[in-house]
Amino acid sequence: MRLDPVTLEIVGNRLGALTEEMCLTLQRTSRSLYVKETADFCCALAGVDGGFAAYPRGIGVSGFVGLNCLTAVRAAGPLEPGDVIITNDPYRSGGLATHLTDIQLIEPYFHDGEIVGYGWAFIHCSDIGGRVPSSLSPTNDEIYQEGLQIPPVKLVRAGRPNHDVELLLSANSRTPEANLGDIRAMLAALRTGRERLAGVIAQHGVRTLLTAQDDLIDYTARKASAALSRLGEGTHRFVDYLDDDAVSRVPVRLSVTATLAAGRLHLDFTGTDPQVAAAFNIATLGTAHAWITTRVLALICTLDPDIALNAGLMRPISVTVPEGSLVNPVRPAAVGVRHAAASRVNDAVGGALGLAAPDVLPAASSGLVVPVVVAEHTHAGQNVQVLEPMVGGTGARLGSDGVDGRDSGISNLSNNPVETVETEIGVEILRYGLRRDSGGAGRWRGGCGLELTFRVLGDNSRLLARGLERLCFRPWGAVGGRPGAPTELIVDPGTPRERRHLKIDVLPLERGSVVTLLTSGAGGYGDPLLRDPAAVLRDVERGVVSIKAAASDYGVIIEESAGVLTLGAPARPVTPEGGGPGSEFGPERVAWESVFDVESVDRLVAGLFALPHADRSPRRTAVYAAALRHLPDDFPRTPAAPDRVRISRQALTDEILKLEHGE
Amino acid sequence: MTVKIGIDVGGTFTDLVAALPDRGQVLHHKEPSTPGDPSLAVVTGMATLLSRADLGADQVTGVTHGTTIGLNAIIQRRGARIALIVTEGYRDVLEIGRSRMPSSFDLYAGKEEPLVPRERIVEIAARLAPGGAPATVPDEGELDRVAARVAASGADAAALIVLHGYADPSFEEGIAERLRDRLPGLPLMAAATIWPEVREYERALVACLNAYIQPLMREYFARLESGLTGLGVTAPIFISASNGGSLSLRSAAERPIETVLSGPASGVTAAVRLATAAGVGNIVTFDMGGTSSDIAVTVGGSPEFATHTTVGGLPLIVPVIAVNAIGAGGGSVIWADEHGVLKAGPDSAGADPGPVAYGRGGTRPTVTDCYLVTGVIDPATFLGGRMPLDAAASAKALDDLSTTLAVPRTQDDGPARAHADSPTRASVPHRIDDGTPGAPSEQGGTPARASVTRDTLAHAGRRTDSEPPAHRTLDNTPDGALEGAHAVAAGALRVATAGMATELQKIMAQRGLDPREFTLVPFGGAGPTHAALLAAEVGIGHIVVPPDAATFCALGAAGADLRRDLARSLRRRLDDAGAVRLREVLSGLATEARTWLTAQNRDGGPTEEPAAETGTVTLSCSADMRYSGQAYELRVALPSEWLDGGDGLDAAVIAEAFHTEHERLYGFRDATAPIELGTARLAVTGAAGPMPAVAVPPGAGAPRPGRRRDILLGDTWHTADVHSRVLLGAGDAFDGPAIVEQDDTTVLVPPGWSVSVDAAGNLHLHLRGRN
Repeated sequence: MRLDPVTLEIVGNRLGALTEEMCLTLQRTSRSLYVKETADFCCALAGVDGGFAAYPRGIGVSGFVGLNCLTAVRAAGPLEPGDVIITNDPYRSGGLATHLTDIQLIEPYFHDGEIVGYGWAFIHCSDIGGRVPSSLSPTNDEIYQEGLQIPPVKLVRAGRPNHDVELLLSANSRTPEANLGDIRAMLAALRTGRERLAGVIAQHGVRTLLTAQDDLIDYTARKASAALSRLGEGTHRFVDYLDDDAVSRVPVRLSVTATLAAGRLHLDFTGTDPQVAAAFNIATLGTAHAWITTRVLALICTLDPDIALNAGLMRPISVTVPEGSLVNPVRPAAVGVRHAAASRVNDAVGGALGLAAPDVLPAASSGLVVPVVVAEHTHAGQNVQVLEPMVGGTGARLGSDGVDGRDSGISNLSNNPVETVETEIGVEILRYGLRRDSGGAGRWRGGCGLELTFRVLGDNSRLLARGLERLCFRPWGAVGGRPGAPTELIVDPGTPRERRHLKIDVLPLERGSVVTLLTSGAGGYGDPLLRDPAAVLRDVERGVVSIKAAASDYGVIIEESAGVLTLGAPARPVTPEGGGPGSEFGPERVAWESVFDVESVDRLVAGLFALPHADRSPRRTAVYAAALRHLPDDFPRTPAAPDRVRISRQALTDEILKLEHGE
Repeated sequence: MTVKIGIDVGGTFTDLVAALPDRGQVLHHKEPSTPGDPSLAVVTGMATLLSRADLGADQVTGVTHGTTIGLNAIIQRRGARIALIVTEGYRDVLEIGRSRMPSSFDLYAGKEEPLVPRERIVEIAARLAPGGAPATVPDEGELDRVAARVAASGADAAALIVLHGYADPSFEEGIAERLRDRLPGLPLMAAATIWPEVREYERALVACLNAYIQPLMREYFARLESGLTGLGVTAPIFISASNGGSLSLRSAAERPIETVLSGPASGVTAAVRLATAAGVGNIVTFDMGGTSSDIAVTVGGSPEFATHTTVGGLPLIVPVIAVNAIGAGGGSVIWADEHGVLKAGPDSAGADPGPVAYGRGGTRPTVTDCYLVTGVIDPATFLGGRMPLDAAASAKALDDLSTTLAVPRTQDDGPARAHADSPTRASVPHRIDDGTPGAPSEQGGTPARASVTRDTLAHAGRRTDSEPPAHRTLDNTPDGALEGAHAVAAGALRVATAGMATELQKIMAQRGLDPREFTLVPFGGAGPTHAALLAAEVGIGHIVVPPDAATFCALGAAGADLRRDLARSLRRRLDDAGAVRLREVLSGLATEARTWLTAQNRDGGPTEEPAAETGTVTLSCSADMRYSGQAYELRVALPSEWLDGGDGLDAAVIAEAFHTEHERLYGFRDATAPIELGTARLAVTGAAGPMPAVAVPPGAGAPRPGRRRDILLGDTWHTADVHSRVLLGAGDAFDGPAIVEQDDTTVLVPPGWSVSVDAAGNLHLHLRGRN
């Protein structure tokens, strides 16, 4: 570092405050739903190399601190004062935009004719065109279906708005007025940043500013390295699965090999499945992109809460992301619902790091965000409302239970008051609460998932629930902890008409139908036999663990007499069920890997990647079909008999060999 | 004769003010607080104050009292053991809350501790439909079952919330009544009766918080009343409210939730009154006390209200004056982290043990110790000499700290050093801006923590010669120790200032306001000491330091209007029928408000006189509205004249008010979109009588300083004139660097600032070259 630490500290704090003021300006001038309610926006200051030198804390989306503006800046051509670049195109902005609904603005900040930094702002807009209203759908299979792609172009040229671009934008959205409002709010934020930066230059000089940009990033990089060093050294591999890819029943595997050495972390995603013909792909463009490193950033900030947020956080992190994989798809792969895959990447990265540092990392969180949406046709037209954004809990860790019914792992969304929801749409919400016995058992218990039960009051209603996950593969426990309960979606539970659903696209609902969504619980930590019986009793008193589960999961007998609960004597007379190999993951994953074991699938994935890009997906489908043919329809939820497993494995091996021999 | 007493209980001192409009006099008294039973200090202090004023207890015409008992009970989670009765299916309304975690980037973050544990939450088969029609009505058996469960929970008090209860508060109150019959002696409050606003979680919290602190508050009010009665006080007793007004003791016992944030609100009330009298409309109040500093923004004479604050980590939707914490207080601890970086706060030494200089066992230096070591305060005259300070102990503690700071690597890169060894002016103090926001705190502010390393300090306080300054105040300290102590103290003050400044700027940015257009009104023990440092940092060029700034909250209490805010959610389309409904609801609220106001006068106390002077009654109406389909509402002020008869508030008038406000904020209106009415709001104030118009005698013009002393600001020593506040007269004027000492605080006037004294005795500090 070249600046004295005091000046650095002063300038660093001023730049941090500058980005927060940008966000506050945006928040104040915007009238957008995504800004007011879900805080899906951010602003920052990039240095001349395009990496963020200062990033806000406590406002806006924190996860994008590792993005870089430089590709977009270069694509937009030579810049002059007063220019503002607009883009939403992940593939042409080097991954700065992560799906088309995130509209990005960049303004070069000049001093004496030289660029001294870039202001950056983004807002998730309501609609950018495409196949469906709101533009996002898991079943989109090409980015063309997801809306208008805006390569980096000049929205404002030397201070003069480029109306051609505005016209083009407005013609391609279902909500043009709202989008223009968002753009105005971003422009106001960029102006605030420009004025504040001029103030910093006036006070400290341009040389100090430019030096500070480098120094701040260096300083954070050092602190990030120091934090990573606390995880030890070594190489650890972890795989996790998305239940399926929304267009087929075949799970999608994510593989992470984490190597910790000398304060650096390398994440190798080799072994991850090829990109899918659905909207779950993460356009990293080959970089250590925000959506595959969220867990690492959260971990660094957990270990060093005072660390300044900037591009330095990413410096100790490198990645290998095979081209054409889920985490580095080739255009025109759809990317709209990338956060669902990011949840699972989080888990896989957390799992691998947990093997390195089991005392530091928690077990898996519930790992899903499901906006439960009901659409109804009324005489006034179509009415679409999010009932609640459903999450689960957080994973347990050494010394602490997980959090029940809240999880900010991917996004820290507010829910909706039931009283406003019921006014807006014809549903009656019968229960919105914690899901008992869903938190993974352990010495420290995983957080409970949630239950949402509602009755449909109108005709012609439909249910949409993108982001449904962990219906099959449970959030795993750690260090002997048990997994959380899997997600369940049930219509008319407890009636003769009861139906259980897996992932749904659009589900028609009848008047009077009752829908129950139970989100997955989070993983437990440590052997449940070691849990303090008093803690088990407390959970039963609170009603988050049943008396039955206290006995079966923890071996603790609890007696109830006249409404008073007491520990039986002796406290732990029963040996609970479970334990043994795979007990951290649950029976579904054990069953799945009894056929599709990690090594075989490694060979399969390697073979697929040897094929031309276009051939991979059909071939993969064919290979799985050949093996699954011998297994029960809802395998692995229903385990297969040993002979079926053997036949199926043989089929898989045959297919892999054919692939490896170029047949 | 009117004798109004204002009382504010703080951690260290209980401040009492007697306002005597007939004598044109305001008397002050500081009594050491008695945390075990705060009413003891109130009673003792009252006796002392009255004897100083030569008044009998029976001559007191009104007492207004602010207390933090409720707030502390919430923060420390030591209120009553309460139960919550809630509509079937909503047992986890408190567990889920608004679903957000306190931090999205902390894998170890937990959630706030719920006010009622899950096992004391009882579900009841009762709910309304969104329109207010009964959807599920509990039968006798269900009520018996619920009552038995509540009784078995061992709760001392209970709250009831029924889904959509806001739509018809009488439904919920009816259930509450039938449960009370079954649970004799158990206080049970219905959420919609207390605050009928839509949003089940927040409304449930209002009821829970109220129930949670009510027993403690009732108990305290009883002790207070009996103590004052014992003294011979017959005047009505009022309690300061979080909305800047006050309410009768009986009202406060019913609705203690309305008083929890009253302390800071009272100070703002006093500042607004003072600023209005001085002709200043746009002010930022700056209350720097022992543990933190708070600011509040007033535009055009109206303080800003907030309906989304937090107490003890829990959201509060009852309207309160918007006060934001911005950083360190006088007792904030100065320390170094493991990297040798200097920090100010957020830990506080509080009142006990307090700063090292207090000699009460404190070993960690504080902001106050820094004032002492830099010469800003004088150990001999602190609090009028009633509290001698141990400056040597401060210096030693700060010097010890200096040895743990990071060692400078490259001094040549340091900031340009100004140095003024001579007693003449140095340049404007070196400006510094530094501060990192910390965790969110009460009221949504952020206690700032800022840092500096020894590198800065290597420059600060260093003298080019080894001569000590002419008027050392620390001459009993070994010189070697002084060097480090000076450097740390000056650096720590810069760090603390910079931290406050960034937070203040953000608060202004959030509102689209420019600090340069505002006047700073400091109060609290350290506010006047730190005000000019903060003002210079954020570009504020005018400061008004009131007389007796340290007892400002008590003064605010003494002069507080009676005030109550009411709300009722409607949630319906704005059409002709909607406008009729809005008028009905507002009229209903107005009736409730007037009845309440009358009751305040009656309930105030056993007096034959009308309690509060029959001042002007003001009703103001507003409504939360939105365009159909929008996700958020705007609060729109509405006319209120029609409440006294006549017409005016029809759908067109309401719509136009909304369009205009939307246009003001977002630059456009949507004349075709339907408008939704959310929540109707009404505020009533009964104006308190006049406060004394205090006048100070004219001065000589250019006052002669009593003494001079050296002060270290930033990296420069200055020799400051020391004035005594009581000797300053109206029209006096002088320039900084200067110090004004008064009984309860010290005003720092850095170089570059000019001071003038107005007729009321306020000090006006102007940054030269600015208006």
